[in-house]
Amino acid sequence: MPQIEIKSANAFYDKLHVLKNIELSVDRGEIVSLIGPSGSGKSSLLKMLVGLLIPKSGDVYLNKTLVNFNNQSDLRVIREQIAIVFQQYNLFQNMNVLKNVSIAPTKIQKRNPKEVNDQALFLLEKVGLKDKLESYPDELSGGQQQRVAIARALCLNPEILLLDEITSALDPELVKEVLDSIRLLAAEGMTMLIVSHEMSFVREVSSRVVFMDDGSIIEVNNPKNIFESPKEKRTLDFVGKILKDK
Amino acid sequence: MGYTLVYTQVLEFLPYLIKGAWISLQIAILAFSGGMFFGLILATIRTFGNNISNKIVICYVTFFTNTPQLVQIYFLFFALPEFGILLSPYIAVLLGMTLNAAAYLCEIQRAGFLSIRQNELDAAKTLNFSLMQQVKYVILPHIMKVLFPPLSNHYIIMTLGTSMAAIFGVEELTGRAFNINSETFRSVEIFSITALIYIVITFIATFLLAVIGRYFFKAKIRIIQ
Repeated sequence: MPQIEIKSANAFYDKLHVLKNIELSVDRGEIVSLIGPSGSGKSSLLKMLVGLLIPKSGDVYLNKTLVNFNNQSDLRVIREQIAIVFQQYNLFQNMNVLKNVSIAPTKIQKRNPKEVNDQALFLLEKVGLKDKLESYPDELSGGQQQRVAIARALCLNPEILLLDEITSALDPELVKEVLDSIRLLAAEGMTMLIVSHEMSFVREVSSRVVFMDDGSIIEVNNPKNIFESPKEKRTLDFVGKILKDK
Repeated sequence: MGYTLVYTQVLEFLPYLIKGAWISLQIAILAFSGGMFFGLILATIRTFGNNISNKIVICYVTFFTNTPQLVQIYFLFFALPEFGILLSPYIAVLLGMTLNAAAYLCEIQRAGFLSIRQNELDAAKTLNFSLMQQVKYVILPHIMKVLFPPLSNHYIIMTLGTSMAAIFGVEELTGRAFNINSETFRSVEIFSITALIYIVITFIATFLLAVIGRYFFKAKIRIIQ
């Protein structure tokens, strides 16, 4: 049963048509990776799913329920179930690590602070930041900040996790520690949509890979086929170029 | 130089001077608060307003930051009566300083608006913060941290600027010092003590503002310079 279903969605930034007739469904527990050149609409697709970009036409279903993006209570519902980790981490600079992770569960979801605190500590330990609880974001490296952002997203107990190029702002040696955190989640069966340029990682963790170009989905295929024998010429060009550069 | 310093005569006037200092402080606090409020309105218009309202605010700010404050107060005190508006010296000074402060504080507060980080607001939205929660947890703490040091500076400048009120006959600290001087002619003693009182006032204010800024708003201010 599809957990997310997107039907002929179109979205714009002012006059720029960034998502064109997007059709995609994602099943529970699936890990779907979005690849494609810069500006192809991968990030916009994730932004649309959390209501930061409102589609102009088309339908999005979450657990078989149609989402009305202009309705605040619908937005609350999708944001309770879908968490996003941004490329630039987007941590709150005026809060320490523990507060960044625990503020939304305590102040917004109104959960028991003690229980949230325990969960935050558990998650921060899992991403290897147990000794940085009192640090502020500007005292951390990019890789550490990104792992705080992952812990912040997970502390919401989301059903679906969106990862928007979470390693592209990091130094190569920091990429591994972040990807290791994601591998752990993948093993636990969380539904994920991943935008990434780390092709070997994409190939390793994905159930399916979506290739996007110029706002459209060009091809959806399993990871082996998309890298070895893609159906579309544009996919072949992109994959060939990326793999040659590596 | 055959001048002998005699402080005893002047020290008798100390309570009189300190009461004057209190009036200086009142003018500074009132003008600063009024300027903050009016400046916030101007900064809001300048940030979110349309083209015409923007231009009006720009004209206002340009005028008040490019003419001497003394001329602005002279205008209020001497020119407005020609139009039938008669202001007392105290009100003219207070109003002039408030209007002037509004222009500067508008620009400072506008810089605060512009420094809000869109990506933190995106994160707050996806974490289901309401608009009020975004203001409370993300926008205000950030703005206060950025704005506290320049606002404190401007407050200190305004405190010293209140001495201009003496020209219009307001009996604040400088005005009272001037009065004692014409009675006793002990200029060196009187104006050195007056300067000392100003230093004490600004030091106390600087210290209190630094403590508030550091511990309430996490602004990067050193408490002991």
